[in-house]
Amino acid sequence: MKTIAYFDATHDLPEEIIMAAGFLPYKILGDVHTSNEPADRYLQAFFCPAARSFLTEAMARSGDWEGIILAQGCNATNRHFDIWKRHVTTPFLHWFNGPSRDDALAHRFMKTEIWRLINALERKFCAGITDEKIASAIRESNVLKRRLQSLSALRGTKDIPNREYFEALVRSMQLPKADAIEEVNAAIARAEQRGPFPSNKRKALLTGSDVTYGEFMDLIDEAGFRIVRDDISEGERYYATLIPEEGEPVDALARYYLTIPKPATKVGIRKRIDYLEQALVQSGLDTVISQNIKFCEAFAYDSVLVNNELKAKGHRVLHVEREFTPGPDNQLMNRLEAFSEML
Amino acid sequence: MNSNKTAPAAPETEQIRIKTVPHAKAIKWPMIWYLLMGQIYTLLPWKKTAWTCAGFPVELLWGFDIFPLHPENMATVAAAQKQSQRLIEHAESMGYSRDLCTYCKTNIGAVDTNIKTTLGGIAKPDIITCTNTICDTHWKWFQIQAEKLKVPFFMFDCPKIVSGTDERTIEGYINYMVDQFYDFFEFVKKHTGKELNVTSMMKASDDSELMSVIWREIFEYRKCAPSPYSSAETSASFFPLVVMPGKKIGIKFFEKIRDDIKKRAETGEGTLSSGTERFRLLFEGIPFWYRMRFMYDLARYRAVVTYEPYTFSFAPPKPFGKNYSESLRDVARVMMDLPYSYNLEKRIVYFEQAIRDYRIDGVILHENLSCRPSSTGMIDLKNAIQEDLGVPVLIIQCDMNDPRAYSEAQMKTRIEGFIELMERNRT
Repeated sequence: MKTIAYFDATHDLPEEIIMAAGFLPYKILGDVHTSNEPADRYLQAFFCPAARSFLTEAMARSGDWEGIILAQGCNATNRHFDIWKRHVTTPFLHWFNGPSRDDALAHRFMKTEIWRLINALERKFCAGITDEKIASAIRESNVLKRRLQSLSALRGTKDIPNREYFEALVRSMQLPKADAIEEVNAAIARAEQRGPFPSNKRKALLTGSDVTYGEFMDLIDEAGFRIVRDDISEGERYYATLIPEEGEPVDALARYYLTIPKPATKVGIRKRIDYLEQALVQSGLDTVISQNIKFCEAFAYDSVLVNNELKAKGHRVLHVEREFTPGPDNQLMNRLEAFSEML
Repeated sequence: MNSNKTAPAAPETEQIRIKTVPHAKAIKWPMIWYLLMGQIYTLLPWKKTAWTCAGFPVELLWGFDIFPLHPENMATVAAAQKQSQRLIEHAESMGYSRDLCTYCKTNIGAVDTNIKTTLGGIAKPDIITCTNTICDTHWKWFQIQAEKLKVPFFMFDCPKIVSGTDERTIEGYINYMVDQFYDFFEFVKKHTGKELNVTSMMKASDDSELMSVIWREIFEYRKCAPSPYSSAETSASFFPLVVMPGKKIGIKFFEKIRDDIKKRAETGEGTLSSGTERFRLLFEGIPFWYRMRFMYDLARYRAVVTYEPYTFSFAPPKPFGKNYSESLRDVARVMMDLPYSYNLEKRIVYFEQAIRDYRIDGVILHENLSCRPSSTGMIDLKNAIQEDLGVPVLIIQCDMNDPRAYSEAQMKTRIEGFIELMERNRT
């Protein structure tokens, strides 16, 4: 299946449009095992290392893709588009400017942007993107989201390593949806056969910057924490809500993408705090791991207020800043272990 | 570097200095006016104030008779008063990362420690309003402070005009912006009880354009060789353009400065002592507010910054339309397409033109640890300028408000190396 890759700082790009155009939507997540040296020729080291890794991946792999879409997210996606335009060879590069607000005006603008994306794909690939095709993509997306919800619900009762859950999410964003659904079904079946939630682990909610590599999830596991709730894009943000299946599909997509759990890149910190608080209460949790990848400004700005509010409500919160590395980060491990001991 | 080899570069014994224009010190009057009016508007219960940021059309606020308070500018005041480091460290002690914008952290520290206005403090406003056109920091910072101070918050969501954006798409973006203007008017009315006086706003816009025209005129004179005015002075004198666009006291100040410069240009007098200007520089980025001597020190090397996009950015042509609705569309376009936030393709064209117009010998790009958006694309910008025009470019990494990022010895070494490079480039 031909692929259109996308750089999405959170979960802003309606991948259903790519599906409706007959392509596989592939979320670029970089590779923590590969040096960022190629991207570092154009982006200084004080830019988000994940974003640099995405550029490195695109420079190496763009030949495998029919095109690339960058979705407006944070400073990185906005300004990096120009650098991708100069240094990534691709026959199709599109800028998707989703709104940062979420009101009626933003909804109207989001629809305009979705239509602009549809027109661009149709022009370039002669892809007839009909309402029926979009509706079908929405249904398929929703099947996957429902299955991910089921897998997620098992996190609190079964022995599911952090990485296993995380990798199911990553595959959901990179494989054809039918294959992803099959994989998630298999993961659910495996999980159901597993033993109960391990007694030597502590349940926690993970918030902050998006996580793009499994080693970080391992580290949390090794420190004695199991993530049973989260609000990251390679997590609940991707499946917490479903896309409305009734009504005009472009309108439905616009509504969906403006009402998913808020990332720090969107206006509305109160909604973000409310989602976290609700998740903690719903799941009977009181432990929060808040993490920030180095130079991720949006989440770093939020973290003080968000964490203070959660603490004020009686939750126990650890905030850590992490490097972009697959190696064992002993300082980070020390802090996680100390937090675990303190609890 | 062996300084003995660079005869024209670093004549430490020669006392080459920046000669300020006669009315330079008159900047104190607009500043006093601004601080005083800010206090009056804060104290009188029927008057209203708003925090706002660079890139926001202040003329809209004048149209509501709302006084704009600028946390960024007050952060620069804190730096100039040698207060910024302690305020930044205070914010970091509250949990804010070392990697975040130091304007923001200066303001957070200033509010939390309730520092005096003269040292960079700022009063609590009635509303907080900003845009995301320059950076995410603006709205993230203002959102945090709005929550803390429990003040209503409004953000203009400005779509990004990336390289290659076509006119039709831009028109769509403008529609979204215009929708937000009406939303903003409702927001202001709801939270301050004030209504937009269109006549006042249009008048403010006209006066604002008049102020910008004078600033652009000043820049025209800076094309002269020797340059009659340098960045050492503009960094202080552009203040009215940011915080009080269109206000008469600011216009009068700029007229005086312009007349001083005009006289110099007519007599061939430069900002450096007669015959000593050797290198004409372009400086990109926000200056080091805590170390403004940097700009003056360049004189020792016979170098003068004759153009800086940063201060020019605040005077873009504001071709306001013939009527209200046309004007809103024009304001929207200006907001989305400020020179400071030009996309890379446009930025390269813009810089190369400035280099030609101002006969620039070398370019210094400030890679600002506090401003990742403006630092994005600097490597490509450097490469393009060097390849297309053969003009040397120096990237220096530093910070606009945090003295901890500035190393005197390293800076000196880099500048001296750069001067040497420009010298070689000449020969």
